[in-house]
Amino acid sequence: MNTMEKLAILTEGAKYDVSCSSSGVNKKNNGGLGNAKSFGICHSWSADGRCVSLLKILLTNYCIYNCSYCVNRNHNDIPRASFTAKEVADITIQFYRRNYIEGLFLSSAIEHSPNHTMEKIWQTLDILRNEYHFHGYIHVKIIPGADPRIIHKTGLLADRVSINIEQPTEQSLKLLAPQKSLQSMFTPMAEINHRITQNSEDKKKYRGIPKYVPAGQSTQMIVGASDDTDLTILKATETLYDRFNLKRVYFSAYIPVNEGPNLPALASMPPLQREHRLYQADWLLRFYNFKADEIVNTQFPRLDTDFDPKIAWALRNIHLFPLEINKASYEELLRIPGIGVKSALRIVRQRRFAPISYDNLSKFGLVLKRAKFFLTCQGRYYGGISIDTSLIRQALTPQPQPLQLTLF
Amino acid sequence: MDYLYDSTFDGLLTCIYYSYYEDKAKGIYPQDYYQCSLVNSSRIIVTDPILSSRVYEAIAKKISSQALKQAYYVFLSNHPRKENIILKYLQLGFKLGRKIDNLHTHLDVLPVYQTARKVSFEVHRFYGLLRFAESNNFLYASLKPDHNILIILAEHFVDRLAQNNFIIHDQKRNIAIIHDKQEWYLTDFNAPENISISEEENFYQELWIRYFTHISIESRTNKRLQNQFVPHRYRNHLVEFKKSFLTNLSS
Repeated sequence: MNTMEKLAILTEGAKYDVSCSSSGVNKKNNGGLGNAKSFGICHSWSADGRCVSLLKILLTNYCIYNCSYCVNRNHNDIPRASFTAKEVADITIQFYRRNYIEGLFLSSAIEHSPNHTMEKIWQTLDILRNEYHFHGYIHVKIIPGADPRIIHKTGLLADRVSINIEQPTEQSLKLLAPQKSLQSMFTPMAEINHRITQNSEDKKKYRGIPKYVPAGQSTQMIVGASDDTDLTILKATETLYDRFNLKRVYFSAYIPVNEGPNLPALASMPPLQREHRLYQADWLLRFYNFKADEIVNTQFPRLDTDFDPKIAWALRNIHLFPLEINKASYEELLRIPGIGVKSALRIVRQRRFAPISYDNLSKFGLVLKRAKFFLTCQGRYYGGISIDTSLIRQALTPQPQPLQLTLF
Repeated sequence: MDYLYDSTFDGLLTCIYYSYYEDKAKGIYPQDYYQCSLVNSSRIIVTDPILSSRVYEAIAKKISSQALKQAYYVFLSNHPRKENIILKYLQLGFKLGRKIDNLHTHLDVLPVYQTARKVSFEVHRFYGLLRFAESNNFLYASLKPDHNILIILAEHFVDRLAQNNFIIHDQKRNIAIIHDKQEWYLTDFNAPENISISEEENFYQELWIRYFTHISIESRTNKRLQNQFVPHRYRNHLVEFKKSFLTNLSS
C-alpha cells in the first residue's frame, strides 16, 4: 500500500476527533524548524467548515477494542493500515515547511496492547523532536492503560495531550464501550495533571527544566450516542475542569457510523444544534464565571434549543435585571446577554472617564439587539417593552422571513 | 495647510513633527496622488529620519506603546484616508497621554481601532493561509492581501522557517520578503515567469489535497461556514482550493 492510500485511510479514521486547537503555548524556534503561538493558528477549513490546524492522523486503525460508537472497532470490515513512526514524521515536516499545518495531532487505535501503541507514539515524537529538531505544535492521545513511564517521556516531548472519556457516566460507557472504564482514564489524567503542576512549580525554582505538556490536557465527550442529559454532561464537564485543570472539553455530535442495539439509528442526523449549545454553555463555564447548575438544573435538565444558554439563564432570572451599564460590576456586565469579555472590559475602562451614553453603546462591540432588554443606560430603559419574561422571549424569537409570492 | 509625504512611515512621522512644531497640518496626503486645490495651500515634506525617530519615541513614551502599534497598523492598511486618521489620533494622544487607550468610542479613536483590527485580522489569517511551494532550493509563496502586511508576516516566518531560504511575494504591490537563512529584507519584486516545481513538490501537494478532502465529515457538510472562513479572493493562492477546483471541472 502506498503513502497516498494509507493517508486516506488513516485520515478517515481520525476525523471524528473534534479537537483542533493549536493554542496554549508560545515557543520560539530553537535552531531547527517551527515555533508555536499561544493564540493558535488555523491553516485551512474543510468542506464541513471545521478548521484544519494540525495534521490529524492515526498511527494505525487496527484495534483490539470493539467500542460500539467507533468507526475503527475490530468488528467493522473496513480497510486497515498502519504508518511507521518515520513516515508520520516525514509527512509532518514536509507539510509544515509548506505552511499547510501548524503541527501534528497523533492519535491511534490500540494495536496489540496499550504499551505497544504508546511506545510507537513516543517514537514518532522522538524522531520529530530529537532527530528533525521540530519545534512546532504536537498534540498526542494518551492511551489509557499504558505504562506511566512511557506516558511521562511522551509528555516531555508533546505540547498537549488528551484522553477522550467519550461518555459522561460510567453507566453509558459500560453500555457502549464495555472494555473501558472511567477510572482507567481518570488515573492517567490525574497523574499528568500532577506532573504539570509540579513542572510549573519546578520552573520557578530551577532554570532549564524541560517543559512537561506546556499546553495542558483536553478531552472529548460524544453527545447523542447515549441518552445522558445536558445536565449530566455539563456537570461532568465542570468536574473535569475542577479536578484535572483541563484546558478544553470538546463535544462531538454523534455521527452514526455503526449499527448497534444501544445506538441511535444509522439514518439519524447528528445533533449539531445541541453540540453548539453545549459549546456555548462551556464558554459560560470558562470565561463568564457561570456554574453548571446555573445553566441547567434538575428542573431544566436540557439546554434550550431556541435560545443560547445565557439568554435562557437571564430569562429565568429576570428579577436580577435591568442592570445599569454605568454602575454594574465587571462580573455583572458579563451576565448581560449580548455583552462579552471584550466589550465588558472596554466598558469598565472607559466609564472611569465619562458616563456612557446609549448612543455610544453599540460602538463597544456588544450586541445591542439582545442586550437592550437587560440594561439601563444613565437610568433609562431602552428595551421598549416592559421587563417581563414572556414579552422579552417573544421579542427575541427570530421572525420568519417573509416569502416573496410567485406569480405563477 | 496640507502636508504631502513620500508614503513611508518615516515620512508620515516627519509630517507629524512639523505639524507639531510649525504649521498645524490640516491633512496629510501621499505626494503622488495629491490633487491641488485653490483653498488649501500645500507643502511637500522631505523625510528626515532623525525627526521621525524623535516622534516615534515620543509616541511610545508620552502616549503608549499600544498607541504606536495601532498607528503603525493603520498605516499598513488600505484605508483611503489613513494618514488623517493617524494624524487626528496622535494629536488627541499627545493631549491626553495614556488615557487614550481607554477611550474606545471617541470619534478620533474608534476608526483607528477598527482599521488596525482589520489589518491584524488579515495578518492572523495569512499566518495560516500562506502556502509555500518548493522550487530548487527555496520556498516560494505568493499572496494578494488587502493590506500591506508583508513586513509583519516576515517576523513570523523568519523565526519559523529559519533554516530555509524563502520568498514571500505580494503580487498586488509587487514587493517581496526574501530570506536567505542569515538575513531577510523587503524589496521590489517581480515574479520570474515560471517557477519550476519539482516531482517531490507535486507529490506533497497531491498528498495534502488527499488529506484535505478526507478530513471533512460528509454528514456535517457546511459550505457556507467554509466560505466565511476562506473568502474566495484568497483561494487562487491555496493549493487545496485551486487544484481540487480544477479536478472537479475536468471530472
